[in-house]
Amino acid sequence: MTKNILPILAAVSLALPGSVSAQDPPESVDLSKFPAANVEDVVVPVPSEIFVVLDKLGSPNWRGELRSSLGKNTGNRAQVALLLGTVIAEGFIAVEAEDPEKVQEIGREVLELAEAINVRKAVIARSKSISEKAKSKDWLAVRREFDGALQDVRGAMQELGDDELAQLVSIGGWLRGTQVLTSIVSKNYSADGAELLFQPDLLTYFTEKLDGLKSTRLGKDPLVAQTRKTLAAIRPLIGKEDGSKISQGAVERINKLTEDNVTAITTPKDS
Amino acid sequence: MKKPLLCLALLAVVAAPVFAYVNDALSFAHEAAVPYIKKGFSVREDAWGGDLGVKEQQAVTAQLFKGNEYWFCLGTDVKGAVVTVNIYDSKGRLVEAESWQKGRFAGARIVPEKTGTYYAIITVVKSPQERTGWAVVYAYK
Repeated sequence: MTKNILPILAAVSLALPGSVSAQDPPESVDLSKFPAANVEDVVVPVPSEIFVVLDKLGSPNWRGELRSSLGKNTGNRAQVALLLGTVIAEGFIAVEAEDPEKVQEIGREVLELAEAINVRKAVIARSKSISEKAKSKDWLAVRREFDGALQDVRGAMQELGDDELAQLVSIGGWLRGTQVLTSIVSKNYSADGAELLFQPDLLTYFTEKLDGLKSTRLGKDPLVAQTRKTLAAIRPLIGKEDGSKISQGAVERINKLTEDNVTAITTPKDS
Repeated sequence: MKKPLLCLALLAVVAAPVFAYVNDALSFAHEAAVPYIKKGFSVREDAWGGDLGVKEQQAVTAQLFKGNEYWFCLGTDVKGAVVTVNIYDSKGRLVEAESWQKGRFAGARIVPEKTGTYYAIITVVKSPQERTGWAVVYAYK
């Protein structure tokens, strides 16, 4: 059904923007009138949404941020889900570094980790596409494929009834993305760079997801417990209101917290 | 609702046409974003979606970053429906740089002055159907 309408839309879309003026929306709205149940969950930003801003603020050494080891799969499903998130985030870093070999390695690792949690089928095509587009250095396309891989993995997990595990993938990616963000900002501090950490609703969203885990096993998992503590420790460091200045000390502290958490995920003690 | 959209989209593959409207609305949203891809925007694979009655609104939450430029693109599967999307900050102030509307498509652009939480408010202005399926994607650069 969707495919049938695409040829028609392709022609329509060319004439869309700018062709019609919008109705005048109100200059302000009372957000409290939107019942809580109607306010959507936060769409979790992919790391590249932040990385492209960092590129505008300076010239980060992206290769220097890449990890030599992507981490070890212990077979623990919580660890694998968190690890998968960090690996996909690594893919975005490798795209910024424009490192085709690393991107291909990450694409293969995504496939292996997806297999460990029974969602390999969902990412086979993505993995292949990541490899092909990295070879041709089509970085915008590779970035899109990593975003797609993340959504495909989460979608497949939800299809299998593993919604909670899918959340861990997102959180793993956020932790690694935040580690890199704070690493870069720490090395060349600016208030604008630090402001990228102001993500209070995202932190609340992640915290609520972890606090609301129905699976007792997941809820008591040591890595999940550590992640919960990390999020709680970060919250007071990012300021209370939009535009709050986030100090260099706070950036460095968040870097340490996320680094420790990512290290625990990628090199667990029982590995 | 973001999650239900994903679930429904997956179900739609195996249980069409019951949830076909979800895929269709999403296709329209992606189509609305096509011109921005040509301008160097990256369209997120993640999306929001649902259905609304006429004159009903829904707010969706987005974490946006100062330094980026965003387009929110809305689509509906209902022919003859008019839908809009507008962007507000966490204090409820209209902050979009521009917006447009054309029947089942709509878009709003924002260049955030601050990093933080923003709300895209979806409105079904009119529709020939009781419930109107909708989907929103966003693009950034």
